[in-house]
Formats: sequence, C-alpha cells, structure tokens
Amino acid sequence: MKSKSLRNPGNYGNFFLRVMPVNSYYGTLLRSINILVVLIVFSGLYASAQDDARLVSEKSHIRFFSSTPAEDIEAHNYSATSTINTGNGNVAFSVPMQGFEFDKRLMQRHFNQERFLDTQQFPTARLVGTITNLDAIDFSSNGKYDAIIEGELTIKGVTNKISEKGTVTVNGNRVTAESVFDVTLADYGVEFTSGRPASNIAGTIEVTVHAEYQPQ
Amino acid sequence: MKRKKIIRVLIVLVVAGALIGVGAGLYMFFMPQRNVQNLPVDFQVTASDLTEEFLNDITRANQKYLSADGESKILEVTGKVARISENFNGEKVVLLKDDDDKAGVSATFTHDTNQAVNELEPGDVVTIKGVIRSGAYYDQDLDMFVNVTVEKSDIINL
Repeated sequence: MKSKSLRNPGNYGNFFLRVMPVNSYYGTLLRSINILVVLIVFSGLYASAQDDARLVSEKSHIRFFSSTPAEDIEAHNYSATSTINTGNGNVAFSVPMQGFEFDKRLMQRHFNQERFLDTQQFPTARLVGTITNLDAIDFSSNGKYDAIIEGELTIKGVTNKISEKGTVTVNGNRVTAESVFDVTLADYGVEFTSGRPASNIAGTIEVTVHAEYQPQ
Repeated sequence: MKRKKIIRVLIVLVVAGALIGVGAGLYMFFMPQRNVQNLPVDFQVTASDLTEEFLNDITRANQKYLSADGESKILEVTGKVARISENFNGEKVVLLKDDDDKAGVSATFTHDTNQAVNELEPGDVVTIKGVIRSGAYYDQDLDMFVNVTVEKSDIINL
C-alpha cells in the first residue's frame, strides 16, 4: 500500500480530488495534507537511510602518554562515546576528562585541576571531523583500511584544527578504528614554564585511540 | 658551651623538619587512589532524576556533582538495567536507563567487583554505588544523548 502510493503519489491526490472539487476549501486542504503525507513518508525514509549509515562506539580506550628524561606518565580512559557516519564520513568523539586514570592519585588530581585541564569547567574533550578519503574505505567488505581524518579537537575549551591518520578495520558488523597522534599541550592553554610539571610533563603528549563500533 | 647546645638543637630541628617534609612529600607522591566503595555516599538518586538534572541545566549539575580535583561525588544510583557489556579493560559496564528516558547512567565496575554483575539481567532494578565522572547531555555532533558515566561501581544490596 505504502510503496504503491510512493511510486505514484499523484494517485492519492487524484483520489481526494475526485471526491472534492478542486476549488473548494476542503479540496485545497486535502491537497495540502496529501503533500504533507508524501513529505513525511519521504523524510522518514531519508532518516532511516541516515540511521543505517551510523556506527556507534561505547567501547573504547584512549591513552595519554608523556615521556621526559625525568619520568614517563600515562593515563587511560575507557568511557568515551563516538560515532562514524559511513554515508558522509563524519566522525565525532566525546571524552569524559575525569575518566582518565593515572597510577598515582596525586597526578590524577593535578591533571584535573584548574591550571592543568580544569575538568570541572570543561568535563568533556571533543573531536569532530570528517574522513576525507571515504572512497578508500568499504564498510561492507572485511579488511583494514587507512583513514585520514580532518577536523577540530577541543580540549579545555580551546579548539584547534587537526589532520590525523588512522586505520579502520571492518570485520562483519564490527568496525574498529585506531589512531595514534600527538597533542601539544600549549596549543590548548596547558603550559608549564617552571617547577616539576615543566621538567616531568612532556610538552607534546602521545594520544592513542582505539574504538569499537556497532551499527545502530 | 651554651652555643654548642643551641647549634645541636638547631641541627636536630632542621633534620627533623627535613624528614617530615620528605615523609609528607613521599606520602603525597605515593598516596593510593581513593577506595570509592569505602567512602560515604554524597547523593542517593534515581537514574532518571540524575540524567534529568543534567539535561535541564548541565552547568549547574556539573558544579554540583563534579569536583575541581577530579575526585567527584560518590553516588548511589537506582535504575533499571538496560544493557550489560564489558569495556576494553575487562570491566563490566551496566547501563541503567528507563525505557522512556533519553539518556541513562553508564556504570563501570572494577576487576574486584565484576562478579557482582554476573547475576544481573536486563530489566532488573538495582542500586549501584560509584563515583561520577561526567554528566548526560545531547551531543549534536554525535547526534545522540550521551549517558552519565559512573566508575568504580559495585551493586549495593538494600
């Protein structure tokens, strides 16, 4: 029924118009309703096509790694949320900053404090971008593909443009994305000029991202 | 004679002060992580009320629940189990979310508390104690509601 009316939406209108004269008030009203119905049906189909192309990840691992002659520091986060739109290549990450866990409690407290990442004020870091070589990735065929993501990274309320490489692995319904890239802390207003932080925390941190996606 | 005595006392004081300083420094440096399950509960809430609070006014909720040093509030959250999964660290993750709610509370357990999840099934109503890490909000780039995250969780038997 539905598909028939979709293939030839005019029939529906003709049916109403046969019942109601064209120039009557109700005829015009019915014609508008008719158009509205067609619009709603089409927008519904469009929305479901969009949903089909969406992958959601609520299983991920993000690692911060800082290396200086004084010491190596790392932190792990397992609670980020991410989506990939396989239709247009849009990628987004939301990372709860208080979810980064350090070996040492003192370091974790410093990390969260105002002069470091101010996580009470800025509880989430975000990455919003697009896979620029979407043509090279076939989400319907198993394999490992190189991906290039261009977009913006926001940490502590400061947004910078980024362009990073990663890999996308397709295995049936399961898609995993991996990337390793550097973040320069000073670009995000996190800077130390003296004392222990300056000597023990690297100016550039290595970030490793691993996320597993499911279609939704 | 008197001068010698004063010098001796001064040396003892300086050494004692240095030892206390080093001790305090070492204690701070090696201070163990908080044991969330042994800490008093700051708020008892339902998953629905908690997510609603964040969706209504995230700035205010962040101020209320998140601490500046990252050692945020300890919650007891009651809700309906919507999903049980495991993260990349081998920890169980229980999503508390009512059917009509836009967002839920995602509670991550620990290697020590994982086994408490074994008896849980979707549909069960439980109370989970844990530390809040972030609030719920609608993310326009993700085009979805992001859940409240709670970690170091365990199930509380009331």
